[in-house]
Amino acid sequence: MSERDDEELQERFAALRREHTIAAPVFRDTLAAARSRPHPRARRRLGFAAGAALVLVALVLILTVRNRHRTTVDLASVRVHAPTDFLLQLPGADLLRTMPRLGQVSFDRRTL
Amino acid sequence: MSSSAVALEVELERVHPAAFGWALACCGGDRTAAEDTLQASYLKVLDGRARFDRRASFRTWFFAVVRRTAAEQRRRNALWRLWPLSWLGGAADGRPDPAAALAQSETTRRLVAALARLPRRQREVLYLVFYQDMSIAEAAEVAGISVGTARTHYERGKAALKQRLEGERE
Repeated sequence: MSERDDEELQERFAALRREHTIAAPVFRDTLAAARSRPHPRARRRLGFAAGAALVLVALVLILTVRNRHRTTVDLASVRVHAPTDFLLQLPGADLLRTMPRLGQVSFDRRTL
Repeated sequence: MSSSAVALEVELERVHPAAFGWALACCGGDRTAAEDTLQASYLKVLDGRARFDRRASFRTWFFAVVRRTAAEQRRRNALWRLWPLSWLGGAADGRPDPAAALAQSETTRRLVAALARLPRRQREVLYLVFYQDMSIAEAAEVAGISVGTARTHYERGKAALKQRLEGERE
């Protein structure tokens, strides 16, 4: 690239710099605006508080919705039937569970 | 106010017009974002979050602060745009200010448009060298890259810019 090209670029940039200098905000105004800005630490604290509040609200909502859809189970009334329960049923087990009465034949012939 | 604070203010006032131009370059010509970046940079300097260690000139050091602040604002704005309530406003969109674009002359508008199409690093180095009259070493310090890398960005950027400006002329 020739020196002439560099000069042309320099001229263009100088024109841009002149325009920017005219359009630049007044230093004192910029400084005053900078001083009136909230300190980043305060902003960070505010953001943290807002985030914590958001998490809290989300937790409350989740717990509320979860409790609404929960079905209560009375464990005392639950009987669990295992698929292998039939193996524990012995022939003639009814004889052991029922009270015999006088004059009544309660056993099955097939069990004899 | 302490004497060092006064001295800092004097230095800031001295570099203010050039710093505004640099902030504009870092914010893609968005005047609102540039003013915001400049204010945040001043605040960093005045409350001591950014300390001038005299390893470079004040201008070089402060320009690096502005560049970092602009990058932070860009990241924050990008995150804000992901937020579901971002349509309420608040974050700059990073596009050039229409009023500023209207006030520009045809020559500078062409230059700004051609620069906007360059990769960020190339654009930054060209701005620092041609607009701010910095050496490539100073530009490298501001951009946080090595002198060799800055030189590569400078050469490639200059060639690409020249090509784009000539392309528009034809």
